[in-house]
Amino acid sequence: MKPQMNIVEPRRKSEIFLILYSLVFLFLFANAFAQTGKVSRNENKIPAEKSILVDAKINISMCVSEGKVKVNGWERNEIRAFVSEGSRVGFEVRKKNEQTKTPLWVEVVGFETANNKNSGAEECLSGKEIELDVPRNSTVDIKGSASETTINSVSRARVKYISGDIFLNNIAQGIEASTFEGDVTVENSSGAMNLTTTTGNIVAFNVNPKEIGDIFKSRTSSGAITLQQLEYGQTEANSNSGSIRFTGAVQNGGQYNFGTLNGSITLSIPQNSSGKLDATFGYGAFDSELPLKNVVKPNTSKTQSLTAMLGSGDSTLNLKTFSGAIRIKNSNRR
Amino acid sequence: MNDKCFDIGTIQAFLDGELAADVLEGVSHHVASCDDCAVFLAEAEEESAIAFSALDQEFNTLVPTQRLWTKINDSIQKEEKTFWQTVAAFFSNQTTVAFAGMLIVFSIFTAMINLESSDNAVDVTKNIPSDQSLAVPTVDLGIPVLPIKQDSPLAQNNKKTDIEKSALIASNKTDYRIIKTTFVKKEISPPRIVNSPKAKGQVSGPAPSENVPGEDSYIRTIATLKKTVDNQKDEVLKSSARFIFERDLAVSDDAIKKMKAQVRTNPNDEASKQILRASYQNKIDLLSSVADKTELMASLK
Repeated sequence: MKPQMNIVEPRRKSEIFLILYSLVFLFLFANAFAQTGKVSRNENKIPAEKSILVDAKINISMCVSEGKVKVNGWERNEIRAFVSEGSRVGFEVRKKNEQTKTPLWVEVVGFETANNKNSGAEECLSGKEIELDVPRNSTVDIKGSASETTINSVSRARVKYISGDIFLNNIAQGIEASTFEGDVTVENSSGAMNLTTTTGNIVAFNVNPKEIGDIFKSRTSSGAITLQQLEYGQTEANSNSGSIRFTGAVQNGGQYNFGTLNGSITLSIPQNSSGKLDATFGYGAFDSELPLKNVVKPNTSKTQSLTAMLGSGDSTLNLKTFSGAIRIKNSNRR
Repeated sequence: MNDKCFDIGTIQAFLDGELAADVLEGVSHHVASCDDCAVFLAEAEEESAIAFSALDQEFNTLVPTQRLWTKINDSIQKEEKTFWQTVAAFFSNQTTVAFAGMLIVFSIFTAMINLESSDNAVDVTKNIPSDQSLAVPTVDLGIPVLPIKQDSPLAQNNKKTDIEKSALIASNKTDYRIIKTTFVKKEISPPRIVNSPKAKGQVSGPAPSENVPGEDSYIRTIATLKKTVDNQKDEVLKSSARFIFERDLAVSDDAIKKMKAQVRTNPNDEASKQILRASYQNKIDLLSSVADKTELMASLK
């Protein structure tokens, strides 16, 4: 019996070791696999926060997959990023200032850059709240999808979303914002504007050009466009089935092109407004509270239209609707 | 009871007829002479009777025999086979299935080629109001197109062959033509149309397009975009967004249709032209928005 035991015991030992090694290997493999997939997640719901010193005129790009985004301009030459209940956060420097060696272009990513280089971690930030404090002179470029995005007090903003509302306030040198499902609201800003939404509304309030030649463009498919206190030389608003409302002064020499197929166009302008009016209202109606001069209505077409003069005709007003109404109201009466 | 008495097992075996002949005889002799064993046997016999009466129903249950199963199977086989059984039987052969599969694939392929070629034959009558004429552009081969009225004999004789139609075209010089573009290509063969001095007089140059300047470009762009969007909209648009998209598309189409009719009626109607262009542009923007969304979604994946 004794020699038999000596033969069996080492075999059992080796089998046990083999099983243990296999288990350990499996555990490590599974853990590594889980790390690869979830490396950007903040498992303990501890907010992720990072900051980096940057150039004053920094370009910041970012991708967002979900969450409420807030970008706020501040006086420091520093970016602070904060994500709650979501991904981690990191900075990838794309370009540096040759002289000061400070970053000129930073990409804010959803993983810790020091630990996760080439790990395949998700680049897009996600979380309940994503907050960025950035230098005032920065250009912010965000794409992705978020529930709501607010950008405040930066130099330029470019936002391209699949869905989500966009609020832009106090943007100094221009905005390019588009969302396929959501509203776009711009306030107290200046520079060239290009606002687009497919199924949402567009609201612009107190928006001015920064330089001569800056254009304001807005387009929605099924939403309404409301413009108030705009001072652009060229203003364009187009909607497929929504209405367009413009309230404010008409700029001398300004060109206004408003068009919609199924909606109405309402201009609420001062009594002393001056412009050449070219209104096409198809199967709709036309009404003006302001006195029109030199009214010409072609009788040869079923498509209704008219040309007329407001005051001395210093601006150009091209208004087109297929089946809606065009109304020109006197804003001094209110 | 004495030493020669048998145990209960032997008695039970005696009752069940399971004992060997010599033992059976011995038990019989013994029971005849032993009162105790006789009583014991009687009790055992009584118990067996009770047990058998209780299990009588179980023992008498008819169990389907092999013969019965054979009968059932025969009956089933004799029943008339259904259509699907026949089909299944036909396809049970693997070679037959493979051949049928090849045949189906070939048929689909042929059908697709035929459909594609028929799609290229654009029916220009679709977009024309009933009370109006349309100048059809010349064909690639440089043969000009004759105008034919909708209510002309040509229009009434759609079932005629292409050659017959060509002959009719030659004879109906003043009529307006509404035909498929594919037909125009075929009509090159009859030399009498081309060489006829009357026909030459009629078709001296290409018919001027009544499209608004730039309309062809809009139509081409829309066709290209639509092809792209049709393949993607199911994936890209949620049901609510899809509804809005289709509604807006319908709004644009309606405006295009009505304004087109207006322009056809009065080619100098600038107001209608402007709205027509705006409608085309809206449609392009709408289709582009879906394409852009697809692109953005792809870039984020």
